[in-house]
Amino acid sequence: MSPALENLAAILIRNSLILFGIINVAAVMTLVERKVSAWMQYRHGPNRVGPWGLLQPLADGVKFIFKEVVIPYGANKPLFLLAPAMAAVPAMMTVAVVPFANDVILFDRNWGPLAVSDLDVGILYLLAIGSMSVYGVILAGWASNSKYSLLGGLRASAQMISYELALILSILAVIALAGSVNLKEIALAQAASGNPLDWFIFKQPLACLILIVAAFAETNRHPFDFAECEPELVAGFNTEYSAMKWAIFFIGEYSAMTVMSSLAVVLFFGGWSVPFWPEAPWYVGFAAFGAKVSCFLFLFVWVRWTLPRFRFDQLMRLGWKVMLPLALLNLLLTGAFLAFG
Amino acid sequence: MVIVKRKELSFLERLYIPEVLRGLSITFRKMFVKPITRQYPEEPLPKDEVTRGQPRLVVKDDGAVACVSCGLCEAACPAYAITIDGGETDRPIEREPVRFDIDMLRCILCGFCEEACPKDAIFMSDELELADTSRAALVYDMEKLKRPASAMKKRIDYVYRINDRWRTPSST
Repeated sequence: MSPALENLAAILIRNSLILFGIINVAAVMTLVERKVSAWMQYRHGPNRVGPWGLLQPLADGVKFIFKEVVIPYGANKPLFLLAPAMAAVPAMMTVAVVPFANDVILFDRNWGPLAVSDLDVGILYLLAIGSMSVYGVILAGWASNSKYSLLGGLRASAQMISYELALILSILAVIALAGSVNLKEIALAQAASGNPLDWFIFKQPLACLILIVAAFAETNRHPFDFAECEPELVAGFNTEYSAMKWAIFFIGEYSAMTVMSSLAVVLFFGGWSVPFWPEAPWYVGFAAFGAKVSCFLFLFVWVRWTLPRFRFDQLMRLGWKVMLPLALLNLLLTGAFLAFG
Repeated sequence: MVIVKRKELSFLERLYIPEVLRGLSITFRKMFVKPITRQYPEEPLPKDEVTRGQPRLVVKDDGAVACVSCGLCEAACPAYAITIDGGETDRPIEREPVRFDIDMLRCILCGFCEEACPKDAIFMSDELELADTSRAALVYDMEKLKRPASAMKKRIDYVYRINDRWRTPSST
């Protein structure tokens, strides 16, 4: 085979594996969420489909496909049908720049890093596309012709604007340290020595905290899930959705969680770096990356089943009066340290 | 008027982070507690003679039901679940039911039939599960209701024991 064909095949295989993987992570997360919540509440959780309920996501998927798509009277039909895709697609697009592992060495050849694209403006791309997922939420709220959905969508957009700032400012401090907006370069800056103390969490603990809190808000997860807000808004933006349309929102939510977890891992936990083993082969690095992301995904679920939801004014106060000044202060200190330190 | 005094939060509590960590540690520890949910079909409900399940007709050792179709249970039934047609028999008790239906969909498992029966012919069993694909199938006839006295012995003994305080020596 000519090298060009080989490259094309490698790209196709790698990209479809990553897309397949992210959708499967989303499916598995629905089971993890239900299992973990059950364990925390002294319950068993789903355990009827397959061993330990492992086939539950499959059963759910079949159920979603066979259910009826109900479009409410007076709904804006094109937008109503478009909204779930708008919510899910950005999350899957942002996966493209996540470097899952270092350069893949296979069949005596270097195939480049395990990522769909080793983009030089990786973080900018990720933030730009990632914020678009709120369009899906607000379109769903607006097109549903339902006051609950609309309120959920409005809250989601207000929340997204408030926390996006703190998120970006916290990331900016890391960019200043690493001197690059390429996610692979940032991971390499931490992974090169194999010393876990080089991870940016130890240099930027405040930025890491702000990023994690903002990630919860960005993905509309507890304790900031105002887009759903079951007690007062039924189910928020997805009140009127059913069947696969509804499921796509959740694939989007879990994909966004995965991307946010990957982002936190790359920025603060050394990406694919294995502690004390800088020359680890790429598959070990990939496993380390997976383990770190799994810990973060578990944190998302863990926090959801621990904390009560904020009040909306508390959310706004936290976003504008605490997170934003803290992120600015952190950036200022980092800048001063880099300039004079 | 009630004045609710809000608790003054200390600085650490207002920081929120330590309290979040405390909450997280609690939920993490609770993950390893044994679940208290009963896995019902695999783990059956505990049953003993006090369990008041569906009523069943007692079949005596000679193979005949103890019922003499007096109709007292039919009259006592608050849900009108029991239907009895009586008939004659050559046996010393002279009467026996030719039809004894209990509509299990109407039965409320109250146990009045058991109390009303003068012949110890109907007792509440420990059978609780009731499922079928049609309503007609849940109207139990005599064949479905018959249980040998030996199988009901625990319940019969129990009913005798709790009724002992009302029984004077002359009435037995």
